[in-house]
Amino acid sequence: MRSGKALAALTIAGALALSMTGCSNGNSTNGGTTPTDTGGTTPVTLSMSGWSLSTTPEFQTLVDAFKTKEPNVTIQIKEYDPNTYENLLLTDMTAKQAPDIITIKQAKYTYQWATGNQLMDVSDIVSSLPSSVTGAVSYQVNGKSYGVPYRQDSWLLFYNKDLFDKAGVAIPDGKWTWDDYVNTAKELTTNLKAAGSAALGTYEHSWQSTIQGFANAQKGDNTNPSGPYFSGDYSYMLPYYQNVLSLQDSGAQVAYADVTTNKLTYQAQFGKESAAMMLMGSWYIATLVSQQKSGDADQFTWGMAPAPQVDSSTFSTPVTFGDPTGMGINANIDPSKLQAAKDFLAFVASQDAATALAGIGITPSMSSAAVTAAVFAGAGMPTDTLSQTAFQTHKTYPENPSSAITMNISTVLNDAHTAIMSESTDPATALAQAGTKVQNKDW
Amino acid sequence: MSTTASAPRTPRTPRATGASGGRRTSASPGPTRHHNALRRRNTALGWSFIAPNFIGFALITMVPIILLFYMAFTDWNALTTPNWTGLANFERLMRNTTFRAAVAQTFYYAIPHIILTGILALALAILLNQKLKGVAFFRAAAFFPYITSIVAIAIVWNLLFSPTYGPINEILHFFGVANPPKWTVSSTWAMPAIIIVGTWREMGYYMILFLAGLQTIPRELYEAAKVDGANAWQRFVHITVPGLRPTTFFVTVMLAIQSFKVFDLIQVMTDGGPGTSTYVISYFIYQKTLGYYSTGEFGYASAASLVLFFICLTVTVLQFIVNQQADLVKPWWSSLPMIVGLVFFALAVWGFCVGHALIIGWGWYLVLFVLCFVAVGVHTSILRRRQS
Amino acid sequence: MMGKGLHRVGKAVLYVFLVAFAVFLLVPFFWMIMSSLKKNIDVFTIPIRWIPQVFQWHNYVDIWTQAAMGTWLQNTLILSVVVTLLQLLTGSFAAYGFARVRFPGRDALFLAYVATIAVPWQAYMIPQFILMTKIHLTGKGLWPMIVLQAFGAFGVFLMKQFFETIPEELSESARLDGLSEYGIWLRIMLPLSGPALASLALLTFVTTWNDYMGPLIYLRNRAYFTIQIGLKTFQADPQGSSLNALLFAGSVLSILPIAIIFLLGQRFFIEGIATSGMKG
Repeated sequence: MRSGKALAALTIAGALALSMTGCSNGNSTNGGTTPTDTGGTTPVTLSMSGWSLSTTPEFQTLVDAFKTKEPNVTIQIKEYDPNTYENLLLTDMTAKQAPDIITIKQAKYTYQWATGNQLMDVSDIVSSLPSSVTGAVSYQVNGKSYGVPYRQDSWLLFYNKDLFDKAGVAIPDGKWTWDDYVNTAKELTTNLKAAGSAALGTYEHSWQSTIQGFANAQKGDNTNPSGPYFSGDYSYMLPYYQNVLSLQDSGAQVAYADVTTNKLTYQAQFGKESAAMMLMGSWYIATLVSQQKSGDADQFTWGMAPAPQVDSSTFSTPVTFGDPTGMGINANIDPSKLQAAKDFLAFVASQDAATALAGIGITPSMSSAAVTAAVFAGAGMPTDTLSQTAFQTHKTYPENPSSAITMNISTVLNDAHTAIMSESTDPATALAQAGTKVQNKDW
Repeated sequence: MSTTASAPRTPRTPRATGASGGRRTSASPGPTRHHNALRRRNTALGWSFIAPNFIGFALITMVPIILLFYMAFTDWNALTTPNWTGLANFERLMRNTTFRAAVAQTFYYAIPHIILTGILALALAILLNQKLKGVAFFRAAAFFPYITSIVAIAIVWNLLFSPTYGPINEILHFFGVANPPKWTVSSTWAMPAIIIVGTWREMGYYMILFLAGLQTIPRELYEAAKVDGANAWQRFVHITVPGLRPTTFFVTVMLAIQSFKVFDLIQVMTDGGPGTSTYVISYFIYQKTLGYYSTGEFGYASAASLVLFFICLTVTVLQFIVNQQADLVKPWWSSLPMIVGLVFFALAVWGFCVGHALIIGWGWYLVLFVLCFVAVGVHTSILRRRQS
Repeated sequence: MMGKGLHRVGKAVLYVFLVAFAVFLLVPFFWMIMSSLKKNIDVFTIPIRWIPQVFQWHNYVDIWTQAAMGTWLQNTLILSVVVTLLQLLTGSFAAYGFARVRFPGRDALFLAYVATIAVPWQAYMIPQFILMTKIHLTGKGLWPMIVLQAFGAFGVFLMKQFFETIPEELSESARLDGLSEYGIWLRIMLPLSGPALASLALLTFVTTWNDYMGPLIYLRNRAYFTIQIGLKTFQADPQGSSLNALLFAGSVLSILPIAIIFLLGQRFFIEGIATSGMKG
C-alpha cells in the first residue's frame, strides 16, 4: 500500500514534469504563422501588463492615444505589483497566462524571456523605427530584436539653484568634469554651513548605478562583448569610487551607511532641500514637478545639467547611461491578434506616442526638439536653456547590456559596491575580487 | 491522484475496528495471523486519521517538492524544457565561493540564534506563567515583535543600529566605547546584528509554544515537590524539564529548521550585504530565482535547496534520535558514535566552507558522518524494540 | 518580616524589569504609529524624528476612503479564519493518527512531513503555481490560498507532540467504555488540548494574516486582495515615491485585530486548565 502511494506520487510528479516539458513546444509554430490583417473593422481586444496604474499614467496615455488611431483595438491593462513585477510575470508565463503585450520594465530581463521563448521576434518593427528612437539595442538577443522602447530615461545632474545662490557658488555650466563636481560639492557644503544651512553639497543614492552606471558608460561601449565589463577588469571604476569616498568622508554628502540605515529617499533629500545637487535619472523630473505642486517638496528653483564627464572631449555630447522601458509581444499570442499587437508596438515608438508621453512629463524613446519643447511646456519646469540641452543632447549607454551573464555580473558588482561604500573593503581590493569572480564565472 | 483514490477505501475499515473495541497496537502477543490482521486494521485506522490532511499536503506541497528534487539535476529555467545535467549543478555549487560563504554564514546565524532564542523563550514562558498582575499585557508585548510587520522591524532596527545617528551607538559612546561597531553596514557586525534582531523577534513566538507546554505539567507535582522541600532550581530540573520534553522537542526542531532557512530578516535588514557578508543559503536561492538580479536558474537553485534540505534533515534526524533515546536504558558508550559523527559533520561543513581538505576531503567526512548516523539509528531501533 | 519586605522589593524589581522589557519590545510599534501620522515624504529623515511636527490624522481617514481597506480586512479575516479552522481540524486529526496509532511506515511518513518544512518555498513555488493552475485552482477567489495554507505539516507536528503528553490510561478507560478512536479524539484529546489548540490557532492565524508572497502570486484580482498585498500597493518601485505614511497607518490597523485575538486567546495559557481530570 505504501509503495503504491509512493508510485502514484511519482506518477503525478512525472506527469507534471512532462506537461512542463511541453510548455515550450507550441511557441515556435504560433510565432511563425502569418498574421491576419486587422486593419479592417473586426474589433480586437489585447491585454497588456502594467504596474501601479494610479501613479504610473503612461500605460493609459499610450492606450488612449492608440485608441484614437485604431478605434477597433481595445487594450486592457493587467496590473502587477511594481516590486515583484518580473516574478509575477514569470509565474504567469509558466502557467501560460501572460498578457498579449508584455511591458519590459527592466531591459535586463529581455535575455531570459527571449531565450525562454516568451517574447516574439519583432525585428521587422524595430528595423523600420525612425533613427531618432534610442534604446532599441537593449532588446537585442543574438542579433534579433524582442522589444520596442517607448521610454528612454537617462541620468542627469539635478541642482537646487536657490542653495547655489545661498552658498555663492556658480551653477553648473554644462562643462563639468568629475573633479569640478567633487570640488563644487565640497565648496557648497562649506559655504552652506557658513550661511547657516544644514544642507550638504550633493546627495548620492545607495544604488550601484549612481557610480557604476557612469563608470561603465564613460569607459566606452559596455555592450561590447570583449570590453572590460565582460572581461572582468574593473579597475576603471576606481577613480569614481575614490571620488565618492572622498565626498562622504569629507561630509559633502550623506554617508552610504546613513543612507541605508536611515532608509533615506532621494525624493526627500533633494525635494526637502537637504542637498544642493543630485545625480538621478530623468524619471525624477515628473516626480519633482508633482511633489512641488502638491507641497510634499519645498518650493525652490531647480535646473538640470549634463552629468560630469571624464574630460573635456565629451562636453559637446555628454556621455551618460540609462535603460529604456519597452514593449514586447507574447510569443504565444493568438494569431488573430498579432497584427493589432504589432501595430501597437510600432505606435509606442512613434512621434504621436512621444508627444503624448512628453505631455505627462515622461522622457520618450524618440528624442527631438518637439519632444523637448513638449516636456518643458509643463508648469513647474525649469526655463533655462542648459536644462533643455541637458535633457535632449547626450549619448546614453545601457546600464545593463543585453547578455546571458549580465545578471550575474551585476550581482557581483553590487556586492563589490556595498562592500566599498560601507567601507568594509577598500575599493581596489573589492574591484579586483569582483574581477576575479567574473573571470572565473564564479556564480 | 492515487491518494484521493485510496481515501474512500480507508474510512470503511476503521469503523469496523472501532466497533470491535478498537484494539490497539501496543504489544498484544498472539498468533501471527491475528497479529497481521491487527496490523492491517491499524494501518487503515492510522491512514483514516492522516488522510484529510495528507491528501491536501501531498498534492500541494509534496508533489512540487518531489519535482524540485528532480529539477536539481536539470538546467530548468522555468520557461523551457529542462535538460538532464546530472551533477553539474552540484559541482558548480561546490566551486562557488559565494555559496560556500553562504553555507558558513548559515551556520553562523543558526547556531547562536537557536541557543539564544530557545533559552530566552523558555525563560520568558516560565516568567510569564506566574500569577502576576498584567501578565496578559506582558505576554502580548513579548509576542508583539512577531506580529509587527517585518518591514517596520527592519527599518526601526536599522535606525537603532545606525552608526552615526543611532541610539545604540550613542549609548555605547556614553559608556566610553570609542569606536562602536557599524552594525548592519559592517561586514563583521552585520550578522551579529541580525542575530540580535532575529532573537528579539522570535522569542515571543516560541514562548507561546512553551507556555502551552507548561500547562500540560500537573500542578500537583510542583506542590508535592514543595512539600518535599525542593527549591526552585530543583523543581525546574526535575519537574519542568522532563514535563516539557515533547514541547522542547517540537520547539528545537522547528527553531532549528527555521533558523537554518532564515531569509526574510536578512532580506529586509541587509539584503545580503555589505559585500556578501550576510548571504545565507536561502538568500542565495532567492537571488537565483526571484531576486533583483534573478538569473531564473531554477535547476541550480533547486540544487542549493537540496543542500539546505540535507542540512536541516541532518539536524532534524539528530533531534529525533536524541528524543527517542531519551526513554531508553542504554550502555555508556552509546552516545559515542553520535559525538564522533557530529565531529565528522563539523569537519565536513568546515572543509566545504573554507575549501580546504583536512587530511581527507570534506566529502569523505560526510560519508563517515552518514555511516556513524546509520549506526546510531540502527542501534537505537534495536534498543527500542528490545525495551518496548 | 524581612522576608516579606525582600519579597516586595523583588516584585518591584521584577515589574521594573518587565516594563523596561515591554518598552524595548514595543519600540518598532511606537515608531510605526508615529510614522503613520507624518507626511509621506517626512517618514525617513536624518536625524531620526520620532514625533511628527504636525500630526497628520487624516492618514487614518484616507486609508479608508482612498484605498479599499474594508475589502482587504474582510478578505484577510475570511482567509485567516477558514485556514485556522482547517488547520486545527485536519492537523489535530492527523496528529492523533501519528501519536496514538502504530502502523508500519508511520515514523518515516512523519519525518517526511517535518522534512518538507525544511525546503525553502522560493525554490518550489513555480512548480506549485503550475500545479495549482493545472488543477484549475488559480483565479478562483480566495480558494488557492485556503488550499495552500490549510494543510501544513506544522499543525500536525505541534498537535502530535501535545497528544503524547496526555496519559494513555485516559484513552484506555474510554475504550473500555466503548468509545471509538474517533470518539476518543473528539471527547478526550481535543478537550484536554486547550492550550495547544489555542497556540496553534494563534500562530496559524498570525502567519496567514501576515503572509504576503503567497497572496501576491495567487490573488491577482483586486477584489480579493488581503491586507498585506493591499498595503504593498502603497510601495512604489525604486523610481517612484512610496506612500510611506499610509503604509504604516495600514500596518498599525492590521496589527490591532491580531492584538485583540491574542488578548482573548492568551487566557487559555492559564495553569491548570489542561490538567483537570488528568490525575491518572
